[in-house]
Amino acid sequence: MTDTPEKQVSEDNSGPLAQRGGVAHTRRENNLGFYGWVSEIPASYGLFAFALLLLPAVVSSFVLSQIFSWALILGMIALSLMFLGGYGGMVSLSQMSVAGMAGYMLAILGNSAITDISIGWPWWLAVPVAIVIATIFCTLTGLLAVRTEGIYTIMITLAIAAAFFYFTRQNYVLFNGFSGFNGLAPPQLFGINWKSSVPFYYLTLFWAAAAYLAVLYVSRAPFGLALQGVRDNSRRMAALGFNVTAHRVAAFTFAGVIAAIGGILLVWLNGQISPGTIAINPAIDILIIAIVGGLRRPIGPFVGALIYVILRTFSLDILTSMGLAGERFQLLIGLVFLIIVYWSPDGVLGLWDRWRERARQRDPWKRSSNELSDRDELS
Amino acid sequence: MGRFIGRHPLWSLVILIIVSVFIWAIFAPWPKEFTAIFGKKKVFLSALFNGITLGGLYFLVASGFTLIFGLMKNVNLAHGSLYLLGGYIGYEVANATGWWLLSFVVAFLVVGFVGILLQYFVFRRMEGEDLRQTLVTIGISIVLADLMLWIWGGDYYQILAPDWLSGPVQLPLITAIKSDGTAVYLKYPVVRLAIFVASVVVGILMWLALNKTRIGMFIRAGVDDRDMLSATGVNVQRIFILVFAFGAGLAGMAGVVGGTFQSMAPGEDIRFLLASLVVVIVGGMGSIPGAALGALLIGLAEQFGSVYFPTYAVVLTFLIMVVVIAFRPQGLISGSN
Amino acid sequence: MTSVADRLQAAGTANALELRGVSKLFGALAAISDVTLTVKPGERRAVLGSNGAGKTTLFNCITGDFLPTTGTIRLFGEDVTDFPAYERIRRGLRRTYQISLLFNALSVVDNIYLACRGVSRGRFSLLRPRTNDALMNSAVDLATAVHLLDFKDTLVSSLSYGQQRQLEIALALAGAPRFVLLDEPAAGLSPSERSELIEILNNLPSHIGYIIIEHDMDVALRVSESVTMMHNGLIFKEGSPLEIESDPEVQELYLGSGHE
Repeated sequence: MTDTPEKQVSEDNSGPLAQRGGVAHTRRENNLGFYGWVSEIPASYGLFAFALLLLPAVVSSFVLSQIFSWALILGMIALSLMFLGGYGGMVSLSQMSVAGMAGYMLAILGNSAITDISIGWPWWLAVPVAIVIATIFCTLTGLLAVRTEGIYTIMITLAIAAAFFYFTRQNYVLFNGFSGFNGLAPPQLFGINWKSSVPFYYLTLFWAAAAYLAVLYVSRAPFGLALQGVRDNSRRMAALGFNVTAHRVAAFTFAGVIAAIGGILLVWLNGQISPGTIAINPAIDILIIAIVGGLRRPIGPFVGALIYVILRTFSLDILTSMGLAGERFQLLIGLVFLIIVYWSPDGVLGLWDRWRERARQRDPWKRSSNELSDRDELS
Repeated sequence: MGRFIGRHPLWSLVILIIVSVFIWAIFAPWPKEFTAIFGKKKVFLSALFNGITLGGLYFLVASGFTLIFGLMKNVNLAHGSLYLLGGYIGYEVANATGWWLLSFVVAFLVVGFVGILLQYFVFRRMEGEDLRQTLVTIGISIVLADLMLWIWGGDYYQILAPDWLSGPVQLPLITAIKSDGTAVYLKYPVVRLAIFVASVVVGILMWLALNKTRIGMFIRAGVDDRDMLSATGVNVQRIFILVFAFGAGLAGMAGVVGGTFQSMAPGEDIRFLLASLVVVIVGGMGSIPGAALGALLIGLAEQFGSVYFPTYAVVLTFLIMVVVIAFRPQGLISGSN
Repeated sequence: MTSVADRLQAAGTANALELRGVSKLFGALAAISDVTLTVKPGERRAVLGSNGAGKTTLFNCITGDFLPTTGTIRLFGEDVTDFPAYERIRRGLRRTYQISLLFNALSVVDNIYLACRGVSRGRFSLLRPRTNDALMNSAVDLATAVHLLDFKDTLVSSLSYGQQRQLEIALALAGAPRFVLLDEPAAGLSPSERSELIEILNNLPSHIGYIIIEHDMDVALRVSESVTMMHNGLIFKEGSPLEIESDPEVQELYLGSGHE
């Protein structure tokens, strides 16, 4: 099995949760041209990709929609959080709100069962405009949240998420208040019913993969490098000629696009959107997903999303098998989250990396000459 | 204040005018034209007093939050859950013993003890990792919220105020002049006034403790510069435990207050957490006077909002927060540099 | 914000750096008071003084890390007193830090690449650099200039102290620097590293001026053509290296600072 070319910085810092960032970073030459960068993705992921493509053939349509499509969508929204938190050092609790804004805008501009509010634009107009509006919303959030010390960003974005939630609940003219919108569905295109589970799954898989690859690519483009520089040493970046605030806000814009696409897919999956979709608990769930998966690499949020969705779907069975009442899902997810933050702040990815590192050290044949020299330098 | 007036003469004039108008509106009977625009004076005065007393409650919750953040840079997002826990415990004690005042003491002690446990067993191991501590508080709030839901269910619990505090009192403020010329005075619930007075007393005691005692000096030094604090040789961990326990206990006591004013139910924890967040963002992190000012502003905004713009009352408070962040990100009164 | 034409006109005749009456107060403490300083383009100046004399505060004011309490700062004839740091850097100012401020999680070449990027276009570019990217090549060239070519892919956290100081200098030479502020570049270096540093500084193109803060008088006087002495936040003497070296007041203040 080929090693991942992504190498950890050092084993003893606790990842991005330490004050200095520890996002993994490739040591390959980055002048591999436009297509060469794909080699940064470990070969094993290719196997996963293949499995994901063949998934509809082996699982039921319930599992496909309610577990995998949902996990891919939540993973995308959590990816936007990971981008801001892992590469930018800014933890934002308003990513679900951005996704929700996109969903609401789609409902208002497009077609829904609430015919006296929905304007009825065709999907090819409503969807892009909804994404643009949500991205602007995320950018404005960034403008408010980044001008202060790092830890304030969590508080301010949480407050913004709450404000948006309360607003949608109170406003009936545009957001239809408590009930929200239902009857939302992807359009019929090329004769395919995109709402049915197999086509919809491929739709979400496409966009999730696109978002993942985009984040991976951009992380080593000047934009991504500058963002990581701002995370690690904003004073130095300013002294190198970078407008630190502008870079942080631009990061929110980029993350906003990803969350917005996730939001569109989310309302198409559920067929509805209401204030409950963007309440405080769902907002925090996105954070939990990103942290449990791991903020170090873009695959983390998707891992976290899968764990979350599986726990959520089967919590009834898990809990009753432990002798507890079935509704104690929040307790379960809260405990899992606490355990991860306490013992492996890099999330599941961190556990995996550490296990693999230990396995590699035990096997002398696995050590390449490349890695021996690494260890010399590290000592 | 003299410096403030010197540096911002225009703003000081504006504030002076607003305050004068307010004072006139409170004490003088309203002419008919005024009533036509602003509604009844009684409604205005009720909203004013409700806002001030609610501000007192918000101050109790937010001051603990701001102290914990100011000193330990720990954004304690479990603060709302501590508030709710205090409220439920207070209810149980008041129900069991019938002693309202005892529930304050027990709530303070129990929730404060929970604070000691948290700081000692959990946060101490994450010294310096601010983000990780905050994430842990999120996890704790989720677990606590669900446990409380499990134990107490989804009902609304109301703590009954004792007899000697119930009922209204007449205040020397004129709400209207009757057609025969006699004045109608405002009647206001005693318990709310009592609790407001208590919050002011707590605030003053805290200010005195922070500014006149040795420990208070260390705490203020730590808020200003945490590294310098350990350089002074004082036992930093003990101070952290003290502050966290006190902040938590204060939140617990505030829970009893809230349970008396309003009621306890799932969801109140998030509501008061958000209120604390907004109050300290507006008032300024790590600053007790800032928390007081912020609490007053937010309490008034909420109450006036619910009377005069009922649909968007809550949004109004967030709007104030947004304006403050946009123009003065460190809050109105900043606690540290 | 002045136009390019104004700037070009000013640059032709102006001093590289001009400070007038600059003070910085922290509360009641005056870190620097009424500093007036003029440095011509290409001039090599040393600023010396004991700890607390205000040298680093002076640098921080010039870079824009904070705004001065009073006074004006002109960079190549342009008034930059209110400009944020990045605006000054984009006008040719550079700085190194007493304690290396590097990106520990990135490699040597990535650090220098960022420095090159900071003063050129495309900071927000979403496209990765192509195989023969000009900026990446400059970064590699700079790494060579400070003798770090063999380590260009090493993470900064794995570099030795001396190598990190060399990287600091490379960052300051990125892009087209016109004036560099060097804050104790020789601190902690071995004698051989020190001579390497002196060599790098003396071999800089003549249009690049700099101010060097140093405790090591030896290094400072070998790489500068004029000296400013500071004491307690005030400028107390200025002159050529020889004058300063033989000045009795200077000797009295700095007896035992390692200078023979």
